[in-house]
Amino acid sequence: MAPGGLVLAAEEFTVREEPYYLPLGDEIELFEAAFEQRIPVLLKGPTGCGKTRFVEYMSWRLGRPMTHISQGGEAPLDDEGPRPFVTVACHEDLTASDLVGRYLLDTDGTRWIDGPLTRAVKTGAICYLDEVVEARKDTTVLIHPLTDYRRLLPIEKLGQVVEAADGFLLVISYNPGYQSALKDLKHSTRQRFISVEFTYPTREQEAEIISHESGVDLAVSIELAKLGEKVRNLKEHGLSEGVSTRLLIYAGRLIERGIEPRRAAQVGVTWALTDDLEVQRSIEEVVTSIFE
Amino acid sequence: MTVAGGLIARNRSRFDGFPEPLLESYESSLRALEPRLTPTQLEAWSQGGLDLMAISLRSWESAAEYFKAGPQLAESTPWDTYEQLAREAGDLTEQSAPLAVSFLRSAPATLTHIGPNHLAQWADFGRRLYKGNWKSSSLAAQFYDAGPDLFGTIRVSHAGRLVLFLDELARHSYELAAACLTSAPEVLGRLEGGDRMPFLTFGVELAQTSWADSRLYFDRGVPLIQRVHGPVRERYLTLAAQVARDHSRSVFQYFEDAAHALGEVEPDDHGPVIELAEQLAPHSAYAAMDFISNAPEVLEKVHIDELAAWQNHGLGILASSKEGGEAYFRLQSSRGEEVLDTLSARVELAKVGDVLRLYAKALTGRNISIHAAAVLAEKGIGWVDEERASTDGTTIYLPEVMELYRAKEENFAAVKVFTTHQAARLEFGSFTFSFDRPSTLFEDLRPTIQEAPGANPTTEIERFFDLFPDRTLASDIHKIAEGTRIDAAITRNYAGIRRALTRMQREELARRPEVSELPLRQAFVENLVRVSLDGTDALRWPAAQQDAMSNGISVLQQLMAESASIEDTAEATLRLYQLAMSIKNEREEGDEEWDSLPDMDQESLQLDMSDLGGEGAAMEMGEPQEGDVEYESPQDIDFRGDFKPELVQLLMKLRDDAELGDAGQISPDQLTEEQLQELLEKSAEIDLDTLLEGDLQNTTGMFLSNLLKEAGTPTLDSDAQSDQPLSDLSTGAEEGEEPLAPIVTTYYYDEWDFRAQDYKPRWCAVKEAALEEGEDEFYEDTLKEYAALVAQTRKQFELMKPELFRKIKKLSDGEDIELDPAIEWMIDVRTGVSPSDKVYWRRNKVDRDVAIAFLLDMSASTDEEIARRDQQYDDSDDDPRKYLSWWVTKRRQELAAPPKRIIDLEKEATVLLITALETIGDDYGIYGFSGYGRDNVEFYVLKDFDEQFGETTKKRIDKVTPIRSTRMGPAIRHAIHKLSETEAKVRILVLLSDGRPQDHGYGRDRTEKEYAIHDTKQALNEAKREGITPFALTVDRAGHDYLKTMCEDMGYEVVGDIESLPRRLPALYRSLTE
Repeated sequence: MAPGGLVLAAEEFTVREEPYYLPLGDEIELFEAAFEQRIPVLLKGPTGCGKTRFVEYMSWRLGRPMTHISQGGEAPLDDEGPRPFVTVACHEDLTASDLVGRYLLDTDGTRWIDGPLTRAVKTGAICYLDEVVEARKDTTVLIHPLTDYRRLLPIEKLGQVVEAADGFLLVISYNPGYQSALKDLKHSTRQRFISVEFTYPTREQEAEIISHESGVDLAVSIELAKLGEKVRNLKEHGLSEGVSTRLLIYAGRLIERGIEPRRAAQVGVTWALTDDLEVQRSIEEVVTSIFE
Repeated sequence: MTVAGGLIARNRSRFDGFPEPLLESYESSLRALEPRLTPTQLEAWSQGGLDLMAISLRSWESAAEYFKAGPQLAESTPWDTYEQLAREAGDLTEQSAPLAVSFLRSAPATLTHIGPNHLAQWADFGRRLYKGNWKSSSLAAQFYDAGPDLFGTIRVSHAGRLVLFLDELARHSYELAAACLTSAPEVLGRLEGGDRMPFLTFGVELAQTSWADSRLYFDRGVPLIQRVHGPVRERYLTLAAQVARDHSRSVFQYFEDAAHALGEVEPDDHGPVIELAEQLAPHSAYAAMDFISNAPEVLEKVHIDELAAWQNHGLGILASSKEGGEAYFRLQSSRGEEVLDTLSARVELAKVGDVLRLYAKALTGRNISIHAAAVLAEKGIGWVDEERASTDGTTIYLPEVMELYRAKEENFAAVKVFTTHQAARLEFGSFTFSFDRPSTLFEDLRPTIQEAPGANPTTEIERFFDLFPDRTLASDIHKIAEGTRIDAAITRNYAGIRRALTRMQREELARRPEVSELPLRQAFVENLVRVSLDGTDALRWPAAQQDAMSNGISVLQQLMAESASIEDTAEATLRLYQLAMSIKNEREEGDEEWDSLPDMDQESLQLDMSDLGGEGAAMEMGEPQEGDVEYESPQDIDFRGDFKPELVQLLMKLRDDAELGDAGQISPDQLTEEQLQELLEKSAEIDLDTLLEGDLQNTTGMFLSNLLKEAGTPTLDSDAQSDQPLSDLSTGAEEGEEPLAPIVTTYYYDEWDFRAQDYKPRWCAVKEAALEEGEDEFYEDTLKEYAALVAQTRKQFELMKPELFRKIKKLSDGEDIELDPAIEWMIDVRTGVSPSDKVYWRRNKVDRDVAIAFLLDMSASTDEEIARRDQQYDDSDDDPRKYLSWWVTKRRQELAAPPKRIIDLEKEATVLLITALETIGDDYGIYGFSGYGRDNVEFYVLKDFDEQFGETTKKRIDKVTPIRSTRMGPAIRHAIHKLSETEAKVRILVLLSDGRPQDHGYGRDRTEKEYAIHDTKQALNEAKREGITPFALTVDRAGHDYLKTMCEDMGYEVVGDIESLPRRLPALYRSLTE
C-alpha cells in the first residue's frame, strides 16, 4: 500500500505490499488464468466477504516481477514492476462521463480530463468497478466494447477510441443480496465476464482471518466466527445481509484494545447490522450466549 | 279480697262496650302480676292499661296487648320497666294504635334480648320509622314485630344503624325497606359480629346514593363480604362506603367487583391491597375500587411486594390528572401496562417469542417457530405436557409463562436455557440418528446385536430401540445420555449461557429424590442423571457394587467430548443399559453403606472403556429378571423438557413423504397404518392412557390421523391450513366456517383517551374484510354520466405524469458543460469578475412514488338524500296548496331521477378518482369503514394496495352502502398500517366523511363529542408521525367547527356544494401530490 501522505495520480497507484489474503478455494488460479487470457472477471458475493481485498491481492500478485505476461502493444508498464490498480466505487449517480472523463472550463476554453476508466485503459491497469449494478445504465455502453475481443474504449465527446493497453483488465463486483428487479445486472453485461462466486469463509478460515487482521487470539476469533455464522442464519429473516467478515474483524480489534467482548460484539455486530429492535434483541441474545 | 280482685271490681264498668276478651285479659293480667308487684305498682299498671283504652277509638287493641304483655315480662323485670313500657305504649298509641300493638306484642320477647335499659331506644327506633302514614306505620310495626328475631342476632347499636338504613330506603320505597327488614335477621345473622356495623354503614351510604342497589346488597352482600379476609373487612367496607359517598353511579357494582377480586387474592394479601387502595381513595374513590378489582390480574404479573410500586406510579398520575389516574387503575392505559411490564418479573412467551424465534433460527440455521407447549399438547400427537419445553423438529415449544424467579432477567435467562437446549438438539443432530452410521468414540456394538427377525421398523431410532427388551429403560437412558451430550455441547459452544445452565443444573440436582431410597437399578439410573447434571459429587452408591457405577459414569462422561455424535449417544445407551440390567432392581435391605464415589482418575477411565468395548463378541441384551421391583422412570429434568426422538423422526419421515407426495412422487416405502400402529404401541415415548381416553383402537386411530395431519400428508384434507403460519398476535385471523363467508381478519388498535392523556391499550377491534361484489353497472353508468368530466380529469392527470428523465441545469458537477453558463463563465473570466462554476447539467431520474389510501365513511347518515338537505320546504309559509304543489313537484322529480344520497356521491367521486389514478399509475387503496362499538369496527376493502384494479373493484363499489356508526380513530389507524406497508416516498391518507365521528361508547355518553374528535385527531397525528400526509374531506356543512379541532395544522376541506364532490376530489388529489 502507498505510504501515508503520498499523493498519487489515479493510474499511479499500485499495491506495493502483499495484502493479507486467505484463499478459500481456487479463486487465485482462476483469476490468474483469466488475467492471462484477458478475460474480464465478475466477483459475486455478499458485502464484506473479501472481494476488494482479493482484487488488491491479485493486483499485487500479478504485479510481481516473476509473473510473466505476454508481450503486447505499447503498454507503459510491462511485466516488470508493480501493476497499477484503479478502483471505482459505483453509486447510483455515477454516469458514463464520470468514468470516461469530461471537459473542464479553463481560462482559454475547455480542457479535457480523463476519467478513471480512461486512465486505467491507457495505462493498462486492473480496473475494479465495485458494486457495478449501482451505476447508471449508460455505463454499460462503455463496458461492453471493453470487455469483448475489441478491448476498446470509445470517448464520444472527443470523437476518439482508445485501445486498451495490454495489462488492462476490467473486474467488476456485484452483490446479489441487494437484488431488486431494478438493480439486476443485464444479461448482455453479465455474459461478458467469468463469474467467481464468493461466500463467507468457513468458521475456521474466518477465525484465522479475524485473528490475523485484528490481532486477537485464535480462541476469541473462533467465537467471533461462530457469532458470524449464527447471525448469518438470520439473513432474509430480519436481516437483509449477513454480518461481514470486516465487521467481525472490527469487533476483534475492539476486543484487542481491551473492550469487553460482549460490548465489542454489540457495537461491532448487533448495532452495526440493523436498526430493528427485535432483531437487535435476538442478535444480542446470540451474543450473550456465545460470549461470557 | 286481693288487690287484683279489688282493681277488677272497681274497673269492670270501664270495659263496657269493649269486646269480652279485653276484660278477660285484663283480669288474667292483673292476677298474674299480683305476686310480682306491690299494690301501688299493680294499680299503676292497671291504670296504664286503662289510660291506653281511653286514648282513641281503637286504642283498646293496644290495651289488650298491654295486658297480655305484662305477665310475659320476665319475673326479674324491675318496676321501672313496667312503667316505661306503659309510657312508651301510651306514646305510641297516641300516634298509631296498630304500631303500639306490634310494639307491645313483641316487647316481652325483645326485652329478653336487649334488657330493660334499651327499651326506650328500641321504641324510639320504631318511632323514627313512623312518618304518620299508613305505609310507614306498617314498616315500623314490622320493625317491632321483628324485634325478638332481630335482637336475637344483633345488638342495639347495630339496630340503630339498621333503622337509619331502613329509614333512608323508606324515603324511596317502603316495599324495599320492608323486604330488607324481613331478611335483616337472617342476613345479619350470617355475618360475624364485628362485620355487622360496617356492613350496615355501607348499606346506609348505598341507600343514600343508589338506593335501588340496596336490595342486591342485602341479597348478595354477605357472601361477597365474606370473600374479604376477616380482619380487613371493616376497612374494605369503609372504603366502599367512601366510594358511595363520593359518587352515585354503580356503587354496588364496584363493591361487588372488588369483593370478587379480593376473593381471588391470597387472604394474607388483602391487608396490603386494601391499604394501598385507601391511599388512593382521597384522590379518587373509583381508582381505589378499580385498583382492588384489578388486583388479581396485576398480582398475576407482579409480586405483592411490587404492587406498591405499581400503585405509587399510578398515584403520581392520579395526583396530576384524575382521568389519567383512573384509566391507569382501570388497566386502560398504556402507561399502566408499561409500568406493569417493567415491574413484572414473569416472562411471557407472547412477548419474547419473536426474539427467541430469531435466536433459535440463528443458532440452528433453520426456520424454527416458537409456540406455547400447550399448542403441542393440543395437537394430540404424543406430547401431553402443557408446561414442558420440547421440539417436534420444526418448532420449539416453551411454557407460556416463566415465573420461576423473582427477577425478570433470571426468568428470561431460564427461558433462554430452555430454548437453547431445544435448539441445540436440532443444531447438534439429536434427531438425525442413523443406525448404520458409525460412532466416533466407541467401538460400535450395534452391528453385533441380533435384530429381531421380520421386524420392519419405520425409523432409524425405532430400529435402535427395537434392540432392547426393556424399551422404557432404554428410552430413559438414551434420554439421559443425549441430555448429557447436548448440555456439554452447549457449555462448550455457548460460554455466555454457561452460568445460567449451571444454575439450573444445580437447582435440578437439589430437586432430585433421595437415591438411597430407590431400588438399586433405579438408583443407578438416578445417579446417571446426577452425573449428567454435572453433580458427580451428589452420587450415592453402595460401595460393594462400585464397579458398575464407575463404569457407567465413565461411559456417560465420554459423551461430553466435542466429537460425540448422536450415534455415540446410542452406543453409550447400549453399554449403560447393559450395566443397568446387570443390577437387580431391588431395595438394598442390608446395612450396606451408601457412599459417594471416590474420584476416578483418567487411567481407570481408559481401562473401563477397553473393558466394555473390547470384547468384540456379540452383545447379550439382558432380560428383566424375576423378583425385581417394577422399574420406574426417573423424575424428569425440567430445563431439558420432553425428548421424543422416535416421534420426531417419525414426523420428519411423514413430512418428507408428504413433500414427495406433493411433488407427484410416491415414496418407495410409504408408511402403512399398521406400521404406525405398531410403533405407537411399542414406543416408550407415548403414554396412550394419558394421551386420549377411549378404547385403544379408537385412540390410536385418532392419534394417527393427528400425526398425519401434522405432517401434512396429502391423503388427508388439510392442505391450506397447515401451510399457513400461525398468525401473530396483531393479526389473529379468524377464518370463516362456510367457504362463502368473506375472510375476516381482526386487528387491534389502541384508542386515545384525551382525559387520561393516554392510550387505552388494544381497545378497538378492526375487522377487515373484502367488500362483497355487486354489479359493475354503477361503475359504467357513472363513467357515462360524467363522460365529459372523465375525459377532462384524465387529461389533467396525464399532464402530471413526470418525464422519466429531467434535465437539471446549473450544477457544479455534471455530465457535460452547458452552453449558456459556459459563455457567461468565459465572459466573467475575461472581464475579471469571479465566475460561477455552476456550468454543468445532468439528467436526473424522476419517479412518481405516491401511495394513497382513501377511507370512505359508510355510516348510516350517508343514506341521507341530498335533495332533502337542499330543498327543505320552508315551514314559515303555511299555505297548504303551495306545500302540495311543492311536494308534487318534488315527487315528480324523484320519480324521474331517484334522489342522490351522500353515499352515491361518495361512490361517484371514487369512480372518477379511480380513472384518474389509473391514468397516472399511483399506488392506491380504497377502503370503507363503519361498525358499531369498539369491538366491531368494520373495515371494508374495495381495493387493496397490492391489488390490481379490475372487475372485482368495480363490482365492490356497487356494494358501498350506508351501514352503521363512524368510529374514525381505529379506521384511520388501520389505514395507516396499510400505508406504512407500502414503500412509497409520498404517502397520503384521505378521509372522506359526511359528519363528525361518533359511535357507541365513543365518548362518555351519547352526546359527548370531544372524546371522538380527540381520538380522531390523535389518529391523524399518528399518521403524520409515520410520515403520512392526512387530509380530511367532509360534506358536512357544519364541518368547520370540529374539523378545525381535529385537523389543526393538517389539511382539510369542507365541500360546501355536495354535488361538486366528484369534480372536486380529483382536483384535490392533484394539489395534494404535485
